[in-house]
Amino acid sequence: MGFSVTTLIFAVIGIVASLCTRICFNRGPSANLFHLTLVLTATTCCWMMWAIVYLAQMKPLIVPILSEGE
Amino acid sequence: MARRLRLFKEQMTKAGVSPSMWSTRDDHFDLEHLEVKLEELEAELLEINANNEKLQHTYNELLEYKLVLEKVGELFSSAKNKAVAHQKELEFQTTVEGSIDSPLLLEQEETTTKQIKLGFIGGLVHREKSIPFERIIFRAARGNLFLKQGVIEHPVLDPLSGEMVHKNVFVVFYSGERVKSKILKICDAFGANRYAFSNDSSKQFQTIREVSGRISELKATIDAALIHRSTLLQTIGYHHGQWRLLIHKVLQRATMDCSSQVVAIFQVLETTESPPTYFCTNKFTSSFQEIVDAYGIAKYQEANPGVYTVVTFPFLFAVMFGDWGHGICLLLAALYLMIRERKFASQKLGDIMEMAFGGRYIIMMMALFSIYTGDASTTGFIKVRSTYPFGVDPKCHGTRSELPFLNSLKMKMSILLGVSQMNLGIIMSYFNAKYFKNNINIWYQFVPQIIFLNSLFGYLSLLIIIKWSTGSQADLYHLMIYTFLSPTDDLGENQLFVGQKLLQLVLLLLAVVAVPWMLLPKPFLLKKQHQERHQGQSYDLLCGTDDTLESESQSIAHDHDEFDFSEVFVHQLIHTIEFVLGAVSNTASSLRFLAHSELSSVFYDKVLLLAWGYNNTIVLIIGIFVFICATVGVLLLMESPSAFLHALRLHWVEYQNKFYEGDGYKFFPFSFTLLTDEDEL
Repeated sequence: MGFSVTTLIFAVIGIVASLCTRICFNRGPSANLFHLTLVLTATTCCWMMWAIVYLAQMKPLIVPILSEGE
Repeated sequence: MARRLRLFKEQMTKAGVSPSMWSTRDDHFDLEHLEVKLEELEAELLEINANNEKLQHTYNELLEYKLVLEKVGELFSSAKNKAVAHQKELEFQTTVEGSIDSPLLLEQEETTTKQIKLGFIGGLVHREKSIPFERIIFRAARGNLFLKQGVIEHPVLDPLSGEMVHKNVFVVFYSGERVKSKILKICDAFGANRYAFSNDSSKQFQTIREVSGRISELKATIDAALIHRSTLLQTIGYHHGQWRLLIHKVLQRATMDCSSQVVAIFQVLETTESPPTYFCTNKFTSSFQEIVDAYGIAKYQEANPGVYTVVTFPFLFAVMFGDWGHGICLLLAALYLMIRERKFASQKLGDIMEMAFGGRYIIMMMALFSIYTGDASTTGFIKVRSTYPFGVDPKCHGTRSELPFLNSLKMKMSILLGVSQMNLGIIMSYFNAKYFKNNINIWYQFVPQIIFLNSLFGYLSLLIIIKWSTGSQADLYHLMIYTFLSPTDDLGENQLFVGQKLLQLVLLLLAVVAVPWMLLPKPFLLKKQHQERHQGQSYDLLCGTDDTLESESQSIAHDHDEFDFSEVFVHQLIHTIEFVLGAVSNTASSLRFLAHSELSSVFYDKVLLLAWGYNNTIVLIIGIFVFICATVGVLLLMESPSAFLHALRLHWVEYQNKFYEGDGYKFFPFSFTLLTDEDEL
């Protein structure tokens, strides 16, 4: 459930960033396509980074051992 | 007409007028009108040049005349003064010596008689010739003459040669016609210019005034003529480039219309080379494009990997560097370079500083992504019972299970990111092939590559995700090994989902099929294509037997397009082997992601905390100093370039290697100043 919600949050951030880039830096179709590509690629990379770490901790096989005496 | 254009260019070069580099959009020029116009302009230019030369010659002569008059006037004045003094002296002697009064009077009368008969010639002679000139004149007249020379201080324009020459003014007094003719011949031999003048002072002044007036008049005329010539040349220069292009175009069209095999005027080089490549960049994207161009410059209209590199390169650096504290340090350095941008741009920097300044935007992007990945994988501030929402659980830090967990996490992360990047590269190769309408590359290069990569390493990525999601204790390492060694054995405790055994068999079979699929069809299909073209040429050759030149032309084209099957096959074999082995080694090379944080932890725990534990101020200060030096010297200045180079290699090998040929060359703009070599038509 946490994974789906945060993925949706990343998607929303990506869409908002694309719209903001389009509005603030509107300089012809070629540049706009370039900006869109950059924003989507950055969002995907950040999401992937987060998702990998999150998935790795969802059901850990190696749990933190609290006692150092062990 | 090309000859006339060359003449105009030469005249403009002499006059210092440069032809305008931009040609006007004037499509209404007709060729007949152009020819008539060029003819008129040439005639006008030649006439102006001739008139200018004539005027200049006359002007120079008048200048010399004026100089002669001035100098001769001076000579006559001084001579008259001397005569007056001499006269007084004679009278004084007469008064003193009364006994010889009669002989003096006789002598005076005789002198007057001689003076009446004397003639004179005046002019200019070269200074270096003045001594021989004087000597020869004395010998010719046997001393029966009087010669006087005066030096002109500044150089004089010679009417004949048009050069500045040092000259002397001379006056010769003689008696008798025979001596006069001799003197005239000697003047001609020495190239001395002679000018007539009167011995009367008032007439001399009048002549000087007339000559000065004529000189001023002529000067004004010459200036007006020069202005007119300059205006004409500028008008020609305005249209020169356009006329040249038009004439070239017309010559080319005439050559084609004549259908002649031999080009009459110039040879158009038909080339099969690709056009050069040019990408528009700004100061932000240019450094990323340089990273791509270092691998190779794109072939004409090939997909540019620089677009994705703007994001993926700093991201991969950050995954390796992955430290928000040091990321902030990098960000501050980049911001400093950006703030001082204008000053540094106009300044001479050292090698290392120049490189850092050139890549300041790369450094900024790397820093931002480093801060993010540092947060995502290191620290957090929220403590909840369920899965940690962002980053690694801080409870993991300092425990015995930290290292196994982090190593496992990073290894799997490397595989996932590496496989994603390679898939992106292969997808780019699909777009390249689609754009160039190369169906062979789509069906026999892109498709088997996707199948091979995802049958093995894509499947491994899927297993990683399933293991994380289900909490299974399967050993993926042994699972992958036994998939190859004994694919039909029971999976046992390594089974992750129902039907896994069958799926693995199918994927293994697909991978095995994909390799010959990549290897074999393309060379044979290329050979078939070539044979079809070859038969077409044979047909043309048979039809064109009557025309010898056309036959030779076809023969040349045929030789140029020769197909070597073994060469193509070997090339495809190498490419296939490279891809298969590359898929394995590129996945392994992704493990470079493990590097940075171990070193950072070592410095933090062993230096800073150890110093803190002693409860001694001096030891603490030394510890802080060592920590700062280690942080700046090792982690920032050494580790950053290391991560940079690893990210660079990952980009070149994992990403660009999958689709990028990079055998083009850069574009250099056309300029009229480079047309000097093309003037030889």
